Amino acid sequence: MIGVTGYSVYVPRLRLERSLIARAWGGSQGAGEIAVANYDEDALTLAAEAAHGCVSDDAAAADGLYFASTSAPYREKQIASVLATVCDLPRRCQTADFGGSVRAGVSAMLAALHAVGAGARNDVVVAASDIRTAGPESELEGLLGDAAAAVRVGRSGVLAEFVDAASVSEEFTHLWRTDDQRFLQSFAGRFSNTFGYARDLGDAIRSLLGAQQLEPRAVARLALYAPDARAAIDLAKELGFDPKKQLVTPPVASIGSAGVADALLSLAAALDEATPGDLIVVGAYGEGADALLLRVTDELPRRRATPSWQHWLDHKLLMPSYEKYLKYRRIVDVDEPGEAINNVLEFKELKQDVRLYGSRCEACGTVQFPLAQVCIRCKARERLSDHKLAKRGTIFTFTVDHLIANVEHPLPMAVVDLEGGGRMYLQVTDFGEAEVGIGAAVVLTYRRLHEGGGNHNYFWKARPVR
Amino acid sequence: MKDQVAVIGVGCTKFGDLFESSYEELICQAAFEAYDDAGIDPQEIGAAYLGTYLPGPSGGKAAVSLGDALRLYDRPITRVENYCATGTDAFRNGCLAIASGVCDIVLVLGAEKLKDRGGRGLPRLGHPLLAKGNSAPGLFALAANRYMHTFGMGRDVLAKVAVKNHYNGARNAKAHLRMEVTEEKVLKAPIIAWPFGLFDCCPTTDGAAAAIICRADLAKRFRSDYVLVKGFGLAVTTGRPYFDPTFDYLGFRSTQMAAQQAYKMAGVSARDISFAEVHDCFTWTEISNTEDLGFCAKGEGGKLAVEGRTALAGDIPINPSGGLKSFGHPIGASGVRMLYECVKQLQGQCGERQVKNPQLGLAHNVGGPGAVSCVIILGSN
Repeated sequence: MIGVTGYSVYVPRLRLERSLIARAWGGSQGAGEIAVANYDEDALTLAAEAAHGCVSDDAAAADGLYFASTSAPYREKQIASVLATVCDLPRRCQTADFGGSVRAGVSAMLAALHAVGAGARNDVVVAASDIRTAGPESELEGLLGDAAAAVRVGRSGVLAEFVDAASVSEEFTHLWRTDDQRFLQSFAGRFSNTFGYARDLGDAIRSLLGAQQLEPRAVARLALYAPDARAAIDLAKELGFDPKKQLVTPPVASIGSAGVADALLSLAAALDEATPGDLIVVGAYGEGADALLLRVTDELPRRRATPSWQHWLDHKLLMPSYEKYLKYRRIVDVDEPGEAINNVLEFKELKQDVRLYGSRCEACGTVQFPLAQVCIRCKARERLSDHKLAKRGTIFTFTVDHLIANVEHPLPMAVVDLEGGGRMYLQVTDFGEAEVGIGAAVVLTYRRLHEGGGNHNYFWKARPVR
Repeated sequence: MKDQVAVIGVGCTKFGDLFESSYEELICQAAFEAYDDAGIDPQEIGAAYLGTYLPGPSGGKAAVSLGDALRLYDRPITRVENYCATGTDAFRNGCLAIASGVCDIVLVLGAEKLKDRGGRGLPRLGHPLLAKGNSAPGLFALAANRYMHTFGMGRDVLAKVAVKNHYNGARNAKAHLRMEVTEEKVLKAPIIAWPFGLFDCCPTTDGAAAAIICRADLAKRFRSDYVLVKGFGLAVTTGRPYFDPTFDYLGFRSTQMAAQQAYKMAGVSARDISFAEVHDCFTWTEISNTEDLGFCAKGEGGKLAVEGRTALAGDIPINPSGGLKSFGHPIGASGVRMLYECVKQLQGQCGERQVKNPQLGLAHNVGGPGAVSCVIILGSN
């Protein structure tokens, strides 16, 4: 049996209320909020958070990682490989980036299923992440949300068996961004929903159900990408499903339409509540469509994601203003000084800085960071072994620095004692007022640190536990 | 080492935002004042040590910056850099040169031109990822917050240090910030790095200071009220205390160790010290220093300040000059400037800031934070 062996999601903590967008530009916006990445988050860091949910102690077992995004932080530079390093996957694994349209998340998952099915791979992590930016005052502005989802595909511990898939592919321009456009463009509305979304995705789902000789009522849940509040509901009805009972409420309602992650977030929401035997259809769209059929196994109750999709939705922090969103999104110019990390240093310190290893003294047991040759406590020489640091800890001491130049200002800094040993000194992010203090529990998160040298320089930060 | 080296002349520029003075001009002002104070022909100088932390476009990278400014050539000159202990360590190296028997007379000069950079504070040097986001106030604030959490101390105690040092500095013609402040003003100032407000932090300052030292047996040739080097110590601990899981953040071991070395060499204890110039880069640092130097037990430095025992008229006056807080902190110059104050106090030349009948004065720098400390003890002959 091949299929999904793990899944997890990540929604950034910050939310922009649609009413703040309406207040800025006039006109009307729907109720609710969109999830927005913090100033130090991008498609890579969102994916890293999501992937950590299904890759932890068992990273060494994975032999592949596929990353999907339409908004990767680099035009040229593979992100899957970076993500594999951040997740501490073995060096000998196959990685690939998927992009081009919001279909890419499900396309990457399908490729992983095919690779495992063909026996070419055993255990592949798929991470889909988007942080798409709509033009200020555009129709899309209140519709897009930032989020990431990850699934793990393999042979053992399958929680949802891969039954079948169907695809259609044909040119239809609905959402796009040329090489030099920063903001997402769209021909939104009834025409595109009817002759693009519903026609392509509807065709793929009909083909999938037809091949399996299934009636819509045999399917427990429909997990569909949705560009807006209406499209998926209309399509479900047209296909003969009961949207209220069968359609997973698309993310657009709670956090905004989440690009390549959208359908996988719906899949996660479905798996959070599914029972063994349930059939789930996953559908994604973009210049065609991919539809997958999964059957939930007896493994699911033991392997549900923690935290759940609902947990990520609940643990949020409202942004105080639309202007702050403009700044965090670099829609208004911000000064971001920083020294470039050169590639020699990056290469030398990959294990320490990205895989996040410290040293453990075999003589006295002290875990220390950065990597050391002589123990900081007992001074034992050359008896230190590499030690993978835990990603959770407690603030030992802190400050909130008003002097330092940073997009987030003032900047909290914390000395963090990690579970299992090791002490880190880190910037704090995603914090609410009064959340930074001695004794506070934090999680380490891989974030954009600065933009020195015209490059994205990433490092770990501390964030409150959600 | 005790009593083998004497200070025969000192000099110090006005400290401040010296936008119109160059690095070389500051070196010359400090050196010429010291030459005149010692009554010495510069050709008699056998070697020189230059303390500068941060080289700039106008110099400081190497010993030639001192040589060219003073036209002092054909002899050994060495630049010393050891974080905020740069000035005192330059002095310590000068003492070693004399004690070794190689040199009879040495010039020690600390100079720093921080204002020529055009920015506030100090530039961040170091690893582009690790500890990114640190600033000098932010680093010391990590310790202050842990200390205040542990001992239940409030910001009002920090403010008392600022009030005292500004009071002293207001009475010092060469100080950078020559105004008194009230506790209320200190507490209401904008926050720089919690718990430090503006008046908990020393300013960014330009300045230079110089000392001429010689073999003690030659000192009488120059003056009768020369000052003797009684002891010194220097200790280095980790420069990354924030990654050290064994560090309690309640004080600095480097200061404790440097002080022990200096007390041992001088054959004295903390109780014998008449007054001290300690490294008050931030108000909390002074409180911790008074503990680390042994003037009181750990956790009682705040009480020492609150009870007025560190004031000019107290039993252990701390920073009679005004300290880094009020006098200013041009890094490499600060340690030598502290020694300038110690010499002037021991010679009874400090006017309304004069400490009563001092016998032993102590100068202390700590940098890093806590990575390096240097302690020098001077005494009347």
